Amino acid sequence: MTTETNTSGAEPGWLQIVLIGRRPKWTLIRILVLVSLVTVTTKFVLLPIRVEGISMEPTYRNHKIDCVNRLAYMLHEPQRGDVVAIRYSEPGQFSEPKQLLMKRIIGLPGESVAFHEGHVYINGRLLDEPYLAKSSCDWEHAPIQCGPDQYYVVGDNRTMPFEYHVQGRAERNRIIGKVLL
Amino acid sequence: MKAALRLALALVLLGLLYWLYTVLFPSPEKAVLKRIASLAATATIPAGTNPLLRANKVGTVIAYFSPDAEITYDLVGVGAHTLSGRDEIREAAAGGFAGATSLSVRFQDVTVRLGPDKLSAEVSCTAKVSANGDQDTGIQEMRFQLRKLDGDWLITRAETVKTLQ
Repeated sequence: MTTETNTSGAEPGWLQIVLIGRRPKWTLIRILVLVSLVTVTTKFVLLPIRVEGISMEPTYRNHKIDCVNRLAYMLHEPQRGDVVAIRYSEPGQFSEPKQLLMKRIIGLPGESVAFHEGHVYINGRLLDEPYLAKSSCDWEHAPIQCGPDQYYVVGDNRTMPFEYHVQGRAERNRIIGKVLL
Repeated sequence: MKAALRLALALVLLGLLYWLYTVLFPSPEKAVLKRIASLAATATIPAGTNPLLRANKVGTVIAYFSPDAEITYDLVGVGAHTLSGRDEIREAAAGGFAGATSLSVRFQDVTVRLGPDKLSAEVSCTAKVSANGDQDTGIQEMRFQLRKLDGDWLITRAETVKTLQ
């Protein structure tokens, strides 16, 4: 029995296998497909974000990493209780904005939102907010009417003074998606 | 094969020429974008910058504004104020620069809308300002109005925009 060595079809070295695989052409195609998929996903479907600030504590801690589902409101409109990402910059582009506001929707279009002794009242009715930490909150504010295309958004950290907490009515076209986790 | 190679080379050359043209003769939008980015870079003060350089920075920042420029801001915890003219802006900038050990200014998500005469422009952006490292960071939607005066794009008006009504 004899063994022939085929020098032209020699097995690639281990370093080549580790770096570019046995078939470099297919490796390149795989990389291109993977990069395209990741780019499209992170740009148009799941936008990676990092929380900065304390206004959504304790639900979302400072520096937490999360994702915004940009397709969440393709089939239905935002709901009360949803934590959403709101763009600072003017709407019009589908590309990802670099800075976003992260807030929870408490008031829907056409509703009035008021604060009394730290509790939220929607159209005069007390809103149950199980996601809030039990803490002292003394927010007081007269009813604010949402327009037909506006959602009232606020953070979960109600220990901050009312005037220092960024909150208010967000236009629908500024809400770019729902925070995933 | 040779023809295809020549065609490819010609396309690359055309692309290079176009790129060179855009660098040498930027469109008004690009010039405005560059101006806004330059303002952010100028207003940024790294930690350890000596007082003389800080004072010089104030003068450089003021040069971005027209003599009759107006800055209107309404910030959480600060309230609404208006600065009119270069002198008031200079005073405010000097106070701001002196009060921080370091300052980082960035304008992000910038959109430029040119006026029909191409001599005026409106810029919308998100300003991110961090003072003293990352200890105090503020994010604010902003709008600038610029006008081309003597070949330079100068800010005639700057105002904060309320993202939430």
